[in-house]
Amino acid sequence: MSVSKINMAALVRSSFGLFKNSILNTAIRSLSTSKPLNIKEIREHKEGTKLVVEAVSLPSPRKDLLVRADNIDLPSSNCEHESSVKEPCYMCALGLDVKHTDVLILSQFVRSDGCMLPRRITGLCRRQQKKIGKMVSMAQKAGLMINLTPAWCKKDPKKRKDYKKFNTYFDEKTIFWKRIPDQNDKWKR
Amino acid sequence: MSAFKRVQQWATFARTWHVFDCKWQDPYDSAQVIKKYLMGLHKPIYHPTNDCGDVVVCINSRDIALRGDEWRKRAYFHHTGYPGGASWTLAWELHNKDPTMIIRKAIYRSMKGNLQRRHTMERLFIFPGEDVPQDIMQNVTNQIRQLRLVPTRLDHIPEEEVQKYPKVMDYPQDYVLK
Ligand SMILES: [Zn+2]
Repeated sequence: MSVSKINMAALVRSSFGLFKNSILNTAIRSLSTSKPLNIKEIREHKEGTKLVVEAVSLPSPRKDLLVRADNIDLPSSNCEHESSVKEPCYMCALGLDVKHTDVLILSQFVRSDGCMLPRRITGLCRRQQKKIGKMVSMAQKAGLMINLTPAWCKKDPKKRKDYKKFNTYFDEKTIFWKRIPDQNDKWKR
Repeated sequence: MSAFKRVQQWATFARTWHVFDCKWQDPYDSAQVIKKYLMGLHKPIYHPTNDCGDVVVCINSRDIALRGDEWRKRAYFHHTGYPGGASWTLAWELHNKDPTMIIRKAIYRSMKGNLQRRHTMERLFIFPGEDVPQDIMQNVTNQIRQLRLVPTRLDHIPEEEVQKYPKVMDYPQDYVLK
């Protein structure tokens, strides 16, 4: 009796999971009805008595402004690039020295609530993803991207609590350090 | 002494007034620069016994920037002299109480502790905001260059400029914009 009960519960749960997936899955949610949500757009038009609803995938708004290393002539163009070496990702290929104050670049890797996009969407290598992600959080802590924050956030950095309301800058060298040394440690014996 | 030589003598030993904008500047780095102007180390006539130091006016000391987590890690020590009179104040607590104290202490500590230091500090003016009394501001003839660029907030950049800025990242084909 109890075994069948458990089986029943599992069945219900798995079927509920399937149902939830069918709603929340990205592939299906891209057929959303609200227009500004997507690169795909919903279009409705009537053919006689039929109402045709179709999803048109639109070109990305960033398409014309996109900068790629193979489109521009970099001064140190690695022509003797061996095929055995793995192709660098687009940020490595560009070789930009991005700082945490370059909010115009960092804001491209961020959702509208200021959260860093995952690697499957940014398409960066692991090192660059870590670097950009840390610099995004640096810029957020310094209060440089306050229009890209959740709705409940206090927008003005000066209205934050305690030490957070004062200006802070960061050193990009510390991003890949295992441990950032404490200033007080130099007095210790 | 010719008239030219006399004027040259005045100009050599006259005190110059410098202004330094502390907005988004690290006080400990800028202290190394301000100290040189206060003591007169930037002049070829410098000598420890030569009174050739300049006056420095620091403005916007409320908007200094500390690196990383130093606001909550750096502590300022004070002892009243009585038993149990020791106290440690964190940098952000001190800055709440007196927004000029961190930059003043940074400049004070950057100089060697001799009898001249207190007199050199008298030539330093620090203001938490931008409003400086007119009798001080009218003397200023030089501005000390800032060490760090003042960062621009994204919401202060016009919307169309953000849209027009060259893009590095593009969304994948089936991405749902959030
Ligand atoms: Zn890479």
